[in-house]
Amino acid sequence: MHERSLIRNLLRQVEQIVVEQGGNQVAEIHVQVGDLSGVEPLLFQTAFDDMVPAVFSSDCQLVLEVVPVIAVCGECDHQFEIIDFQFRCPECQAGSVRVIQGDEVTLISVTINSNNSIEGVAS
Amino acid sequence: MNQRTIVIRRDVQAEQKADAASERERLGRRGTLVVNLLSSPGAGKTSLLEATARQFAGRRSMAVLVGDLETDRDAQRLAPLVPVVQLTTGGACHLELPLVQRGLKALGDPDVDFLFIENVGNLVCPASHDLAEHLRVVLISTTEGDDKPGKYPKMFRTSQAMVITKLDLLPHVPFSVEAVTHDALGIQPELDVLTNCSLDGSGIASWCDFLEQQHQQRLAKYHEPAGNR
Repeated sequence: MHERSLIRNLLRQVEQIVVEQGGNQVAEIHVQVGDLSGVEPLLFQTAFDDMVPAVFSSDCQLVLEVVPVIAVCGECDHQFEIIDFQFRCPECQAGSVRVIQGDEVTLISVTINSNNSIEGVAS
Repeated sequence: MNQRTIVIRRDVQAEQKADAASERERLGRRGTLVVNLLSSPGAGKTSLLEATARQFAGRRSMAVLVGDLETDRDAQRLAPLVPVVQLTTGGACHLELPLVQRGLKALGDPDVDFLFIENVGNLVCPASHDLAEHLRVVLISTTEGDDKPGKYPKMFRTSQAMVITKLDLLPHVPFSVEAVTHDALGIQPELDVLTNCSLDGSGIASWCDFLEQQHQQRLAKYHEPAGNR
């Protein structure tokens, strides 16, 4: 169960973004995962709910988007969705393919509530 | 109160991956090939390292960092053969780079040909953590069943080699080398597949030859003039 270490990482990065951008409350954190990201969405959500109150308000929401795994063939450049973890290019049968989506935990965006005075400085 | 959405689009592990890349580069330039060994508990990682140490004795230098939740039993097994440091995670299911770096320091950062990292026995979480390895090897023993690659696809997808261990038990268990190879190659078509038995020594010489080839191939780029890279 390494979801907790990923959440710790995620929250640390969001904390830094809040410092850089100004603001006083994080309303929403949008994260994308795929079948190759090594994350079980339910466990990720549970770890988030458990750990977020220590860092931000417990009102802070996690939007967890599960995306398909997409790869590009190294031989013919064909872009395709990986189904049932089969990684051969369906066009040319090459085995050398590069995954371009679905193999990592991606922080997509952070929604921050800020009062007007900070807003004026930050944006 | 205003609300703003800041678009980031960044890998949450980007910083760790960059740290791993720079450690990999440092060790690669020095001529140390880092090999991350992963498998279920009991697949034979420590036995393979014992056999490897015997085969390389006097020819190639190696050191081992061995990860477990508790105890230093594996380190005790390997200590008579090679420099080894036990990394205990205290319950964590995988190793992370800072722990590996601490272990490397405890070893005295030795200038060896091969640094083996024996990961925590687990086919899930260790797949998601880059430990600065040049080569990731997944072991699967004949007693585990040949259906594992499909069940734990990320582990097989992120590995460059698969070693089928405990080949001596093949006559006694319903395990097909062909089936497991077919399953694994669907997930990682570029996987090198080797078979061996650490107890009777069969396949150990070809495993060590494979390691020597990998040492040469994977570290070659660090020895070329900068312009050719």
